[in-house]
Amino acid sequence: MKTSYLFPHRFKAVSGLVFLMSFVLLVVLYTTIGDALQINAKVFALVTDIDVATDNFMFGDIKYFTWVTNSITDEICMLFVLVSGIVFAFSKEKHEDEMVQSIRLNGLAWATIANYSILLLCYLFVYGFPFTNVLMAAMFSQLIIFILLFRYKMYRFYTLQHEE
Amino acid sequence: MKNNIKVQRAIHNLTQQDLAERISVSRQTINALEAGKYVPSTVLALKLAKLFDKTVNEIFELEPED
Repeated sequence: MKTSYLFPHRFKAVSGLVFLMSFVLLVVLYTTIGDALQINAKVFALVTDIDVATDNFMFGDIKYFTWVTNSITDEICMLFVLVSGIVFAFSKEKHEDEMVQSIRLNGLAWATIANYSILLLCYLFVYGFPFTNVLMAAMFSQLIIFILLFRYKMYRFYTLQHEE
Repeated sequence: MKNNIKVQRAIHNLTQQDLAERISVSRQTINALEAGKYVPSTVLALKLAKLFDKTVNEIFELEPED
């Protein structure tokens, strides 16, 4: 059986490395030291409530299709995290066969269930401003859970007992 | 589902690695098949049958709970 939606195996190592580095950088950005890494640029906004004249948030004053000034460090970081994460998670194993595919599908199902269970718990029990952190983590949580779960399952698969 | 891949493999004097290469799967998959932890696709079952020169029914057998 041929599956065409997976990336070639040769992308695995490099995307894994990029993913790890950009993820660490993203975590750093959301801590206090992240402020030093700002790169301000004029960006196109589909929707925004940043006031163009003062660059301050104007809650409720929504504008569409406009240009605003914003730090793009986190945007670049998220771009790398998501793209390299998807490529790493969905590139072929060295010996791709039907059992690996079944492990992957199984892992994907469990990761989705686990992710939404966590999100639901957070939705029910996190209130106020900290909830924006939950939304932020929700951007990539499923990807992270899937990668960890799949790597663990593949580790178990590769270390299956050798024939007696 | 039960199978006698291990027996067939012994008859044909193949290691798990040899068999894996013949039907282009990983050795771990053969291991899981023999241990009954994985049920192969129809394509893989037919490949095994062809290699061992048996019918699929002679290699795989349904169990009461299937």
